[in-house]
Amino acid sequence: MNKFAFGCGGILLVVVFIAVVIGMMVMGKYNTLVKLDQSVNQSWAQVQNVYQRRADLIPNLVNTVQGAANFEKSTLIAVTEARASVGRLQINPNQAPATAQQLEQFQAAQGQLSNALSRLLVVSERYPELKANANFQALQAQLEGTENRIAVERGNFNQAVQEYNTAVRTFPTVIFAGMLGFPPKPFFNAQPGAEKAPQVNFDFKAAPAPPIMTPAPSAAATP
Amino acid sequence: MSCKPARRNRPGALLAANTQLCLTIWFALLVFLTASATVAAETLPSKPAGYFNDYAGVVDQATALRFNEQLAQFERETSNQIVVAIYRTMESESSVDDYTRRVAQTWGVGQKGRKNGAVLFVFVENHQMFIQTGYGLEGALPDATCWDITHNIIAPQFKKGEYAAGLGAGIQAMMQAARGEFKGTGKTHTEENGKHSGSFPVGLIIFFVILFFVIVPRFRRIGRRGYGYTGWGGPYIGGFGGGGWSGGSSGGGFSGFSGGGGSFGGGGAGSSW
Repeated sequence: MNKFAFGCGGILLVVVFIAVVIGMMVMGKYNTLVKLDQSVNQSWAQVQNVYQRRADLIPNLVNTVQGAANFEKSTLIAVTEARASVGRLQINPNQAPATAQQLEQFQAAQGQLSNALSRLLVVSERYPELKANANFQALQAQLEGTENRIAVERGNFNQAVQEYNTAVRTFPTVIFAGMLGFPPKPFFNAQPGAEKAPQVNFDFKAAPAPPIMTPAPSAAATP
Repeated sequence: MSCKPARRNRPGALLAANTQLCLTIWFALLVFLTASATVAAETLPSKPAGYFNDYAGVVDQATALRFNEQLAQFERETSNQIVVAIYRTMESESSVDDYTRRVAQTWGVGQKGRKNGAVLFVFVENHQMFIQTGYGLEGALPDATCWDITHNIIAPQFKKGEYAAGLGAGIQAMMQAARGEFKGTGKTHTEENGKHSGSFPVGLIIFFVILFFVIVPRFRRIGRRGYGYTGWGGPYIGGFGGGGWSGGSSGGGFSGFSGGGGSFGGGGAGSSW
C-alpha cells in the first residue's frame, strides 16, 4: 500500500517534471518566435516606408515633367494611374502580409508602378530641356536612391522572414508553432523584370553602359 | 566522420558501403566548398585605417593627411563620420550602389545609435564615384544633394585630373551639408573608446594579465612558502593597465578611424566622370 503510493507519487513527480520542462521549452521558443515575428513586422514597416517614399516623389515628378513642352501624355497617365492603384491597396503597414497572395498583390501593384516610372524616365530622355532642368535632375537622383533603398529593405525583409521561417519550421518548434499562431510567412520573389525597374539613365558620356548601372538583383533576390 | 570500417565481420560489404558513404560525404563537402567559394568570390575591402584613404595614390601625402585631420575634427565636432575611400578599380560584379552600400555597412561608419555615417567611394579607373549615406544622414544629405556634390562639385575637377581639388571641395560640401544634424562630443569614436581599436578583446587581455600576475604568483607562493610575491603583482598591473595601451593609435598626428556601428539603407547617389 505504502509502496504503491510511493510509486504513484514517483510517477506523478516524473510527469510533473516532464511537463514543467516541456512548458519551459515552449515558453522559451514562444518568446523567440514573438521576437522574430516583431522583427519581420519591423522590416515590413521599413519596406512600406521606402515604397511610400517613392509614391511621395511621384506628384512632384509628374508636375516637373508636365512642365516640359508637349510631354507624352500617355506615360504620365500611366504613372499617375499606377500610383493610384498602389494607394488603393488595403495593406497594413505595421503587419507583414500573412499570405503569399497578399504579398503578390502588393508586389504586382508596385511592379506596375515601377514599370510606368521606368517608361517615364526613358521617355524623358528625349526631352533635352527636361534633362537640363535642375529640379528634374534632383528628382531623378532621389528616385534612384529610393529604388536602391527599396532593394535594400526588401532584402532585409526577406532575411527577417527567412530567420522567422527557419525558426517556425525547425523541430521541435514546428509541432506547436501553428497552434500558437505562428504560420510561415511569405517573402518577396524577384519578379521577372521587377529587379530592373526604373532604369534611371544618368547622362554619362564616356561610360560604356557598364554592368555597374544595372540595379543589383542580389539584394532583392530571394534567399 | 568515421570513414574506417567499423566491424571485422563481412568486411567486403561493409567496406564498400563505407567507401560509398565516405565518397558521398566528400562529394557533398566538395560541392559545399565550391559553392561557398563562388559566393565568396567578391571580398569586401577591409576596414580603412583613417578617414581619408587613398589606395589609388591620386593625392599627395600631405594633402591626404590634411583631409584626414579635417574629417577627424569633423567627427569630434559633430559625431558624424565621413570617410573617403579611393580605389583604383571596383572589385565587384555588382552595381556600384549595391557594392558600396555593403562595404559601408561592413565598415560600420557612423555612430551606432545615430547611424550618422557617410562614405565617398571613388573608383579611379572606372571613372565612377558614389556617396553612401547612413540612415541618420539621409535628411542632411539627401540623394539630390549627394548627386549635386558628385556631379557638379567633384566630377568637373576629376575630369581635369585635379583629384585633390575635387576631393577637397567634395569633402567641404559634404561636411557643410551634414553639419548641424548632430552634436559631437569633442572626441572621435576611436579616441572615446580610447586606447584599443574596434574589436580587440581588451577585457580578455586584462583578465589574463590579472590571472598571470595575481593568481599565478599566489599559487606559487603556496608552493614555495616564504617568498614575498604579492609585492610583485601590484606594480606590474599598474604598468600594463596604464601605459601599455594608451600610446597605441595617437602617434604621428594621424587620427585613426574606427566605425561606430552605423548602418546604411541604400541612400546616396553617385556619378561618373
